[in-house]
Amino acid sequence: MKIVIGKDAVLSGLQMVHGVVNVRPTLPVLSNVLLQAEADKLWMTTTDLEVSVRCLVDAKVGKAGGTTLPARRLLGIVRELPVENIDIDVDDKNNAVISCGSAYFKILGLPQDDFPAIAGYQGGSTFTLEQRVLKDMLQKTFYAASTDETRFILNGTLLSFKGNKLTVVATDGRRLALAEQELEFPKESEVDAIIPTKAVNEILRMLKDEGTVKVHVTKNQAGFEVENMVLTTKLIEGTYPNFRQVIPAQCEHRIAVERESLLTALRRVALLTSEKSSSVRLTFGKSKLKISASSPDVGEAHESVAIKYNGKEMTVAFNPEYIMEPLKNLANDEIYVEMTDELSPGVIKSDVPFIYVLMPMRIS
Amino acid sequence: MRDVAAMKVPVRTILHVDMDAFYAAVEQLDNPVWRGKPVIVGAPPDRRGVVATCSYEARRYGVHSAMPSRAAGKLCPSGIFVPPRMERYEEVSAIIMGIFLEFTPLVEPLSLDEAFLDVSGAPAQWGGGISIAKELKRRICERTGGLTASVGVARNKFLAKVASDLNKPDGLTVVPDDVNGVIAFLAPLPVKRLWGVGKVSEERLSQAGIRTIGQLQVLPHAVLEEYFGVAGAKHIQELCSGVDDRPVETAIEEKSFSGEHTFDQDCADMEKVRQVLLEQVERVGERLRAAGRTGSTVHIKVRFGDFRTITRQTAIKPPTDSDKTLRDAAFTLLSRENICQPVRLIGFGVSGLAHSGNGEPVGEQLLLGDLLPSGLDMRQAALDRAVDRLRQTFGRHALKRGQWRSPSE
Repeated sequence: MKIVIGKDAVLSGLQMVHGVVNVRPTLPVLSNVLLQAEADKLWMTTTDLEVSVRCLVDAKVGKAGGTTLPARRLLGIVRELPVENIDIDVDDKNNAVISCGSAYFKILGLPQDDFPAIAGYQGGSTFTLEQRVLKDMLQKTFYAASTDETRFILNGTLLSFKGNKLTVVATDGRRLALAEQELEFPKESEVDAIIPTKAVNEILRMLKDEGTVKVHVTKNQAGFEVENMVLTTKLIEGTYPNFRQVIPAQCEHRIAVERESLLTALRRVALLTSEKSSSVRLTFGKSKLKISASSPDVGEAHESVAIKYNGKEMTVAFNPEYIMEPLKNLANDEIYVEMTDELSPGVIKSDVPFIYVLMPMRIS
Repeated sequence: MRDVAAMKVPVRTILHVDMDAFYAAVEQLDNPVWRGKPVIVGAPPDRRGVVATCSYEARRYGVHSAMPSRAAGKLCPSGIFVPPRMERYEEVSAIIMGIFLEFTPLVEPLSLDEAFLDVSGAPAQWGGGISIAKELKRRICERTGGLTASVGVARNKFLAKVASDLNKPDGLTVVPDDVNGVIAFLAPLPVKRLWGVGKVSEERLSQAGIRTIGQLQVLPHAVLEEYFGVAGAKHIQELCSGVDDRPVETAIEEKSFSGEHTFDQDCADMEKVRQVLLEQVERVGERLRAAGRTGSTVHIKVRFGDFRTITRQTAIKPPTDSDKTLRDAAFTLLSRENICQPVRLIGFGVSGLAHSGNGEPVGEQLLLGDLLPSGLDMRQAALDRAVDRLRQTFGRHALKRGQWRSPSE
């Protein structure tokens, strides 16, 4: 295999695919990126056997062929090379010579036949939507997924294609984030897919603000296709809990608040939480929300934010991280907080179809 | 600003008190006819089990603790074998620990019959460590009706412990307070007196002709590193010169909870092994909850009829005190082993302990309804605690599981 490729092309391709590569993979070849050169194109592929990413970049192909090279090492080299054309010349023993100007590298690869085959998908449902829309929905929800491996069913984000809607949900049992969007598809295409968090991270990296993405869902796999990239992932198998049941039908009080000022005030007050006392107290009063934190062995902090509210005063305690995360991932200027009492779930909403349900902390 | 010189650590006076052949001595105390005779507390000589303690009369026959009872029976056919009566020993121990507290609040019990005391702060009119040690021995003898203790007096825990062991029984050994005196005191002692020198290191040192602490004292640091590694060498060098800064800790936090059961006869019935394992799990779980702790690592120990022993462990996230979670982990570990040999002993333990935070000012994060799996945990936790309370009130056997079930239930 012999190619000449622009630094920018190879760098952007490697940056797209290297995230999948595990630091200590089970098979040595999984540290490598599969390179396949043919007809002015170079395919780059990585996999951890769960998630696979393929990316296509332009290249001048002198001699078609394929090999696998250590992905992180190759990325490190390419990143440091000057902005010029890079020559990659691989012999039949998979030794690759990378040269650029007077810089010369020889790195040792493994045969492309050692690389696991990436399964294609057959059957299932296919949906087409705007990349911008899917990216936005994932961005607003994926952080709420559980990282507790004993709750594997929650270690991912649910994409539920039902009733001419796409509903994206993530939860860890303490809070739940949900985004919804109308989407037309035939009834027989209805399907649920739980996408592992690692794949969601890579999908977010892959999606741009323009163009469409094709989503294929089969029984145990999902594929995400954009112009020059394909990501396939195994699904988390099992039935996602009935999330609709934990969303309060209605709350007693609805409070409008400016997102940015709530977020910055929370950030500051949260500095005075500690391991022993990890909650912040939110006291909703007339037109004023007081946020306070105190730890017996650290000290205390409080700050007020203007709100639109006229109901009775109430105080609720929350884990500050859990309120800040949705605020960071929303773009709206104004959001709504819905509350009932200090032991009932609080709800954060924005004017787009987004719901975040958060359980309070019980403080003595 | 505080004067730095005034912050220098004052010289301490530490006592290590070790009761002489405690269990056996209590038995001789309660049964006067056994006095002066070889009393062996532990399993009977015709059964499986070991010697817990034996009287000094029995030690003359070569019997020692942890020896299999069968072997003890052969060495000392006239031995009086007595099953342990832990409640009685605990009762006597409470009297002794009470005496310690008359001298200092800084008491670190190591077991029922052994403790460190920091008497540095004792009033001057008590006359220092030696006088206190003498008075302490007198009070123990008086109030228990004749039990003796051996006491070591030194500037730190390590030296005090070494000293108490030198003149047993009824000993009182004082380690000199100056540096040269300490070095001379340690020099003739065998290397195994040092913490960190086990059988393996002892053997390796012995092959190099090194048998006493004195020989270690003069070894260059680089040579020590060859034997003990970088961190170990520093530790050994400090101990060789009698340096040990560890404070007397009045409340020791457990690092793990565990329990094990030896079958009367090797058990080939895996259902029974699982039952006994479950009993161990429930006992450990109860202790965890009583201590307000959670564990993040679970281990099981299996010893086979041929004494081959395996331990297997697994991490649990998040840390738990739930019987169900502990049981599932224990059973998973056991079922992975594919055991087809009779089992002699089964054990279970939990480590990686943290405070569960109950009752602390920590807020409790509420969960999103019972629908999600975490909701089940709260019901499970409530069940565990209800069972604990019933067992505390009505006894351990008041409530038992109807049927032990597999984790796949």
